[in-house]
Amino acid sequence: MKLQGVQQTKWWGVVVFIAAILIFPLVVTQSFFITQATFAGIYAIIAIGLGLLMGYAGQISLGQAAFYGVGAYTTSILTATWGWSPWLSLPIALLVPALLAFFMGYTMSRLSGYYLAMATLALGIIVHGLLVEGKGITMGASGFYGIPQLSLFGMTINQGVPYYFLVWFFVLIVLILSLNIVHSRVGRALRSIHDSEIASSSMGVNTGRYKMQVFILSAAFAGLAGWLFAHMSYSISPSAFTFDASILFLAMVVLGGSGSVWGALIGALLIRMIGITVHTLGEQFSFITSDSEHVIYGLILILVVIFMPKGLFPTVIDWFKNTSIKRVEKKSSVPVTPIERSVSE
Amino acid sequence: MQDFLQFTLTGITIGSIYAIVALGFVTIYSVTKVINLAQGEFVMLGGLTMFSLVSVGVPYWLSFIATILFVTFIGWLMEFLLIRRAKGADAISLIILTIGTSIFIRGISSMVWGKDQHTVAPFMDNTPVTIGGASITPQSIWVVLIMLLVVGLMYMFIDKTMLGKAFQASSVNPMAARLMGISPKRMSSFSFVLSASLGAIAGLAIAPIIFPAYDMGAMLGIKGFSAAILGGLGSAPGAVIGGLLIGLFESMGAGYVSSGMKDIITFSIFLLILIIRPNGILGEKTIGKGGL
Repeated sequence: MKLQGVQQTKWWGVVVFIAAILIFPLVVTQSFFITQATFAGIYAIIAIGLGLLMGYAGQISLGQAAFYGVGAYTTSILTATWGWSPWLSLPIALLVPALLAFFMGYTMSRLSGYYLAMATLALGIIVHGLLVEGKGITMGASGFYGIPQLSLFGMTINQGVPYYFLVWFFVLIVLILSLNIVHSRVGRALRSIHDSEIASSSMGVNTGRYKMQVFILSAAFAGLAGWLFAHMSYSISPSAFTFDASILFLAMVVLGGSGSVWGALIGALLIRMIGITVHTLGEQFSFITSDSEHVIYGLILILVVIFMPKGLFPTVIDWFKNTSIKRVEKKSSVPVTPIERSVSE
Repeated sequence: MQDFLQFTLTGITIGSIYAIVALGFVTIYSVTKVINLAQGEFVMLGGLTMFSLVSVGVPYWLSFIATILFVTFIGWLMEFLLIRRAKGADAISLIILTIGTSIFIRGISSMVWGKDQHTVAPFMDNTPVTIGGASITPQSIWVVLIMLLVVGLMYMFIDKTMLGKAFQASSVNPMAARLMGISPKRMSSFSFVLSASLGAIAGLAIAPIIFPAYDMGAMLGIKGFSAAILGGLGSAPGAVIGGLLIGLFESMGAGYVSSGMKDIITFSIFLLILIIRPNGILGEKTIGKGGL
């Protein structure tokens, strides 16, 4: 039975997604692109979490890199300094950022909107500062090195195709989890909070609790990404977890389209592709320097917001739907009323 | 005690700059509800344009005025070309738009001025004076004086002129203001012009002290934004108080603990204050979803 207005997870999208993951390393074999695709996967995990927070709970986080960094450093310290197995440190690397988010959400529960955004920004700066200054534990600005590689059933998961599959396996889990959350009772509650917090709370939705849960979930996702990032590279440094990184994650969600799990995923891929394209162009043409990479990057952000304010993914989907509706109208010669149109969306 | 006085003076100097940047945030926010994270780039452009004009031999005070006009023009351009076009965008997308603009301006600036820090001559002879054991440069006094002047002029403008009244009206109730014949487009444009010129003035005042470079805008923007939030977004006196407080936390943190710890200390105190006063020290007039 399909209830009207209740969206269900469209599994064909997931199938296409799995097929794309499997085919990509067969088509593209250069190790540079495999590494970039692995990074894109790590960013996608953070972007999906942030997308849930922004698009569904209507909160901005300008400090998502803090949770990412805390996850990465937690596992680095546990495995390299204390000699834990990386698999054992995985739940801790998820738990510590989640606890930080819980603490943050608990103390900041009275904040909203730009005040909350600025509070998360402050958290990001504090965490980055502590990573640089806590030299005894984090080895400071020069970076933490000696992080062990992952191994599964006695085989080391090397950087390259094996790690690519590991990362995208986790992306798949995060994606399915998020799609299910979005299309569940919780997801509908969250969307109602995004549209009108007052209306939803008067309908009996405990808005504060839901917002807190999404915030914690997004932090745990960022922690997972941090865990993957740390074990991919031998060393990590605080420079990967700055305000600029938080902005990058924010840009991924906005570019892809907040309010859609797929949008966040596509946004992450898109930002990575823009980066690679501009970089490759820079190698081809000498007049494109690293400075102009920034100029082009800024320009793309500007153009996307101006021409596709809802983000890329929803814009494209709308366009598809509109053209298919027009086709139906032509065939049946009965115009689709605006109400039906809005229901079918 | 002597240290304390010294740190206070340093804090007030840098705090004055944050205050002017925060006033820029408040000016744009109150009329257009846009958080302009490119605000710090106006300050950077102010400092570096001044450097270029002086180094090609334009007289000091002439380049001073030319710099303000140039940066003001950039602010007008930004509103006209970008903010006005992004009509369907929501608040978060608009923030991304201003961030994109700021990355763009920073990229262009690093191509024009390179990655080095530049020196700009102070307004006058810059021999430090000693007050009660603490030394202060005349330029720092200028910075504080300029901040006070800016605050005074802003107050006069907002409260005493017809244009200022129109400005206030479109911030309090845009719909009613429109019915009274105030053009929201013109006000939006004007808020960017005003706030860009504020940024330029801050840049000119601080340039002789901190040696401007292409990347100085980002942190100034963040500090200015926190000052505006700390005071209560939308409140001009709040922005000034917030700016001075952030400046003081910073210089005390750097002085008594270490310069590496100053941002950690500043933002920790900032968070503590927000926990106690979730709408800023002076509070925001329009409390909805925190401005969203």
